[in-house]
Formats: sequence, C-alpha cells, structure tokens
Amino acid sequence: MKRYDCMTRLAARLRDELVILSLGASVDEWYNAAPHMRAASLFQQQLGCVTPQAFGLAAGLPHRRIISLDTDGGMMFNLGILATLGNEQPKNLFTVVWDNECYQSIGGPPTHTAFGRVDIAAIARGAGIDHAYTARTLEEFDAHCAAGLAAEVPYLVVAKVAGTVQPDIRRKHSDGREDKYIFVRHVEATEGIVIMGPSEHN
Amino acid sequence: MKQSAVDAVIRGLKKAGVSIVCYLPDSLFKELYPALDADPDIRTIRVTNEGEGAAICGGVFLSGKRAALVMENSGLRASVEPLARMGLGAGIPVVMLMSYRGELGENNWWAIPHGITMEPILDALRIPYRVVREEDAIEQSIIDAYNWSYNAYYHSAIALGGSVVR
Repeated sequence: MKRYDCMTRLAARLRDELVILSLGASVDEWYNAAPHMRAASLFQQQLGCVTPQAFGLAAGLPHRRIISLDTDGGMMFNLGILATLGNEQPKNLFTVVWDNECYQSIGGPPTHTAFGRVDIAAIARGAGIDHAYTARTLEEFDAHCAAGLAAEVPYLVVAKVAGTVQPDIRRKHSDGREDKYIFVRHVEATEGIVIMGPSEHN
Repeated sequence: MKQSAVDAVIRGLKKAGVSIVCYLPDSLFKELYPALDADPDIRTIRVTNEGEGAAICGGVFLSGKRAALVMENSGLRASVEPLARMGLGAGIPVVMLMSYRGELGENNWWAIPHGITMEPILDALRIPYRVVREEDAIEQSIIDAYNWSYNAYYHSAIALGGSVVR
C-alpha cells in the first residue's frame, strides 16, 4: 500500500476539516494529494508534536473535525499523547499514523515497528483509544477514514505503507513560519475569529 | 501556596484570556492544580510530560483559544525540543507558568539541578521570563507574559519562587 494513494483517498473525503501533519516526505505528498486542503493543513517539522498539536487544536475548536497525519517515528517519539487522548476522549480528532517502518527522510533506517513486535494500534488501544486499527489495504484504509471522520470518539488508524515516495511531485516552497501564517489566516477566515490581530499602534 | 496566591494566578490567567491549562502536577503548586480543575471557566488537560503539554498548548494557540503550560521548572527541560521547533521554527508561542525549584533556600538535593538549569535554558532559547516572589506581582506578570507572547509570537515564562510557593 502506498502512502500517496492513501492520501488521495483521504483527501477526497475532506472539505472543511483542519489537518496537522508530520515531517518528512509526507509533507510534499500531502501538498500534492490534497491541493484543496493546502491552507487548511499545517505543514510542520516537529517530531513528536503532531498529534499533541492536533489535539490542542481539537480542544480549542470542539465543533470542527481535526485530522492528525502522524508517523510511526513521530508517534513513538511521544507515546504519552495516546494516554492523554485515552483519558480526554476528544470527539473530533481523527489520527492517521503513516507506518512505513523506517525513518524515510534520512535514507530509511528502520523504526521500532520494522521488526514485527511493536504494534502502535495495540498500544493505542491499551492507552484507552478503543477505536484504534491497522490498515493494510487501500479498501481497509478508506473504510477507516469514513468511520474515523464520523466518529464521536478518538479514532486512530495505523496505515502500513511502503517505504517509497511518490515520484515527480511538486515541492512545497514555504517554511514553517509561512505555513503557520497561511494556516492561521485560514482558521481565522473560516471560524470568523482573530488569532493574530493588529498591534496597538502601527 | 497560599490560597491568596492561587487566586492571584487564576485571576491573572483569566484576565489574560486563558481558557485551557495543560499541566503535569508538582509539589510547590500542589494547591493550584485542584483549584484550576475546579474552575468552571478553565479546562484542564493533564499530560504525561511537559513537552507533550507544550505541543498541546501550541495547538490551542492555532485554534484562537489561549492556553497555559503549568509545571515545575524541571518540566522546561522536558519541553525544550517542542519549544525550539514550534517557537524558533514556526513562531507558535507557548506561555509557561512554572514553580521555581532549586533557587537559594532549596532544601532538597534532587531539586538543585532544576535551579541550576532553568535560567540558562530559558536564555539559550531566548525566552524572556520574570521570576516573581511577591504575591502582588503575580496577576500583572501573567498578563504581561501573554501581551508579549501575542505580539512576539514566541514563548515567555513566569517562574514563581520564594515565599509565593513556600
């Protein structure tokens, strides 16, 4: 199963959701797989921060569906967030973990999930996220997207994907700071709120 | 902490517009945590480590709500990675309220590292901070930290020390 194909399936289901996503090659893949979600996606380079940030966003906007696109390396960097989600039970957070069993962006050395013992979905269930599953086919992944986007409880799917990157895709040119401004202005416009307002004086 | 100091913290947080507090409990703020839990205007989120709390606060910022990360100053060390990435890499601010363990007068050997490392780490991350040892200064200091962070879009910190927490 290719991550890019999973992304196109997920993207086809999204309209006014907000997305926080992880670092590495998945950034450019999501940028291309979901062009209509570019302003609604926060592209960050923050190992271990993705699902916690998505949960913070979900806590602040409880009426809005939030999607975390995390990774095996990123989730294992901070497994504690699974226990926090288990206790807090957010009703509007759908978490996808792209599990390619390697640190792809630095050339592919294995992560802990590569050896057949570590099961992130099982860890999540043990942490109190009852709806935590592993998808190995596009059809399974797509079905979990449908269920996860409609769930009233935290929902997590680990997508077992190949360690390859979609070839010949356009690179995103903006950095984390520009991405934040784009995202914040999108949240402001769609929520009718001010997050980064004017100074007292010009 | 005296009840009056707890009240001053909560007044400051409310005047700064805070509605979500992430915390990992410690002994010096022992009386503060249940008071935050009990406050109907504040949602508390208990975290497994302070770095996770910093990242959650960053997400809350993106929602337009205001969050605080409340912790012992040792939690700063656990938070350095997400603080550096969010603050220096993206300009996503986190306002921290921490107890000052390990300052002069400390009588626990295990807390000495907290005092020795806190200010150098804040300086290394270029995070402005204020050490508050007078109860009268708590409320305005918290408000000042939010004003600064919401103009700088960078982290700031208030450390409560001295008789305020002992």
